[in-house]
Amino acid sequence: MPKVTINDQVYEIPPGRTLIQIADESGIEIPRYCYHPDIGIEASCRMCLVEVEKLPKLVPACATPATDGMIVRTNTARVQQAVRYAMEFLLLHHPIDCPVCDQSGECWLQDYYMEHAGHSSRYPGAQKTRRVKAVTIGPLVKLDRERCILCTRCVRFTRNVTKTGEIGVFHRGHAAEIAIHDEKPFDNPYSGNVVDICPVGALTSSDFRFKVRSWFLKETDSVCGGCSTGCNMRIDHSARALGGGIPGVTATEGTIYRTVGRRNVAVNKSWLCDEGRLSFHTVERWPRLRTARTNGPAETLHQIHKRFEMMRKEHGAGVVAALGSASSTNEALFLMKKYFQGGVDFRVANETQTYQQQQDDLLRRVDKHPNTQGALDLGLAGNLNGLQGIVDLAERKQIRAMWIAFHPQLVGDDAADTLGKLQQLIHALDYSVVSTTHEFSWAADATVLLPMAAWAEETGTYTNYAGRVQIARRAVAPAGESLPLHTMMSQLLGFSGIQVSPDSAAIFEWMARETPAYSGMSYEALGKLGLETVKETVQ
Amino acid sequence: MTPVRGGYAVDVPTINVSERARAEHATIWSTFKAFGVTLRRLFTSLVKRDMPTISYPEQQRNYSERFRGTHILTVRDDGSLKCVACYMCATICPAECIYIEAGEHPNPEIEKFPRRFDIDMMRCIYCGFCVDACPEEAIVMSREHHQAAYNRNETVYGIEKLMARPGIDAKGPGYRPNRPFSEAKLYNPKDKDACAWPSVTEERHPAVLYESMIQKRQ
Repeated sequence: MPKVTINDQVYEIPPGRTLIQIADESGIEIPRYCYHPDIGIEASCRMCLVEVEKLPKLVPACATPATDGMIVRTNTARVQQAVRYAMEFLLLHHPIDCPVCDQSGECWLQDYYMEHAGHSSRYPGAQKTRRVKAVTIGPLVKLDRERCILCTRCVRFTRNVTKTGEIGVFHRGHAAEIAIHDEKPFDNPYSGNVVDICPVGALTSSDFRFKVRSWFLKETDSVCGGCSTGCNMRIDHSARALGGGIPGVTATEGTIYRTVGRRNVAVNKSWLCDEGRLSFHTVERWPRLRTARTNGPAETLHQIHKRFEMMRKEHGAGVVAALGSASSTNEALFLMKKYFQGGVDFRVANETQTYQQQQDDLLRRVDKHPNTQGALDLGLAGNLNGLQGIVDLAERKQIRAMWIAFHPQLVGDDAADTLGKLQQLIHALDYSVVSTTHEFSWAADATVLLPMAAWAEETGTYTNYAGRVQIARRAVAPAGESLPLHTMMSQLLGFSGIQVSPDSAAIFEWMARETPAYSGMSYEALGKLGLETVKETVQ
Repeated sequence: MTPVRGGYAVDVPTINVSERARAEHATIWSTFKAFGVTLRRLFTSLVKRDMPTISYPEQQRNYSERFRGTHILTVRDDGSLKCVACYMCATICPAECIYIEAGEHPNPEIEKFPRRFDIDMMRCIYCGFCVDACPEEAIVMSREHHQAAYNRNETVYGIEKLMARPGIDAKGPGYRPNRPFSEAKLYNPKDKDACAWPSVTEERHPAVLYESMIQKRQ
């Protein structure tokens, strides 16, 4: 294998790598603006210049392929000076409006200035070139030309990733600027990603803009619940309301402010679709169900368990069943299966066969449930012949009592047909327990309505269309008195004599022991990027 | 040598009790002495009109120009609010008593303005860090310190109260590191040209925005 020496350290590398890739893999920091691993190489910012022995000039590490015997230095005085000069040029006409800039606190200009430059401007502030600020270039993106450093990350994103090419560099020299073609607004379904990859405050999100300063945010690694692709995302949220004890404002539950793509080469690279990016707003689309409600005397989980037992004794074991959701976590579905002894089916709006079908050729999928594959792996499909089958059984009084868990789709609307059938089912049952996140009119007639934690309010795993198991961690507290479904199920199992920890990691380990496809998995093993399930070998 | 008592080496001052008692026993002479002081004060107050006390709250003292009282939000020359909602004050505030909601200013050069700016005066510790942190001199302290209110909600001051209230005119500004005002000025309701703070526009709820986007794409 070819050998490359970087800062007196020898690295053996597979051929066809650039110097910056080797540096990233071996933990050597090289500053960069224009280089991004997923969008192609430009080499325009001149920040990643390194010194290579026997080459007369400094070379950009992002565009230089590593060859055998190369001796590279990233920390010599010549390199440091070149980076300082590059920074000085980039900041020459920068407005330094950090106090009102949305990127402030996570801005690469701020970071690299403190680390590599630290100069004071040689250009009089009053003579700085002014450009247009806050131009709306699309429904989700605003452009500030003063702050732009022309790294062309956004341009390359639209050219190479979405292949739509709405953004371009117009004019030349000092007049060069980022713009869109007049007739074509930047509104492709992946437009929000340019905000994530913009290293400065030039592109800001209309949705997140001015909501909160970035340093107040807490970060939680999660997985998108919008469709069966399971894109990795980071949830930026507050642990509590900002501003402490202002009466009427303080909320202790925390608020999600934005979600950004988290790099996972096996699933979504660095990208998210706009629907998934904004899907956290769906949770606040309807009023939340905050307390349990009954159409009779108040019932605790223990009383619900007693009622199920009574039904089983009177009419036989088969009359109690459950309906899980393909948006529930693996842990919840597994415990549900345990408690209802296999009498569990799960609900999908589309046909089960379509869950792997793509909606476009990048990320989005037709099935808008994050855990269809997980439910299939647990053997929950078709036990009771789907939703229509359950309704038929309930109307023939072969099923009399049911637990119905319902998560609304985070992207798009639930099929009216499905909701109609659910309402029909509730009316047909003698005793129905509906655990749901929001107040829905179709569920109003249920015997017991239990509040349930929504996406980002519980920790659990989803299995995506390709069988990759990934952890979605809890970011904010469940609304009101709601509980995660797996907690409710572990309590029910406790009443029936099986003591289960309500901790989702422990439940997942139990599940991994009993489900062949998940054997050997644990939360530690899954880590940040998840693991593929064990595929059955075809003989 | 340090006297050692009860096993501890301590330096205990000794009091001559009998001498002190003798001094305190001379009550008759000291009574006359005290009456003398009272009479002298009566004379200076009534005849020379030199009184050390004032009849508060009708009369009030003038505090130092660096007094850290209730905050003031300053305005630009055109009378609009100077604050750009950068959250520097809310970030530095050790009592976490400042709550800001930012909005999009109609002028893209200004870009940001506080749609809501609340200070919980009961929570505030009047340290003046917010004034130090402000890059625009948009917040200064005043020389006013009256916080009495009939209920707790009244002690949370909003933009209107922070910008213009009777106390500011009466007492004037207090602690402001860049004295005199470099760019900002105090809101003057008598000024005919003065415009009010930018009108609060109801932005579309994010969920509504999201819905319309999805519909558009389908």
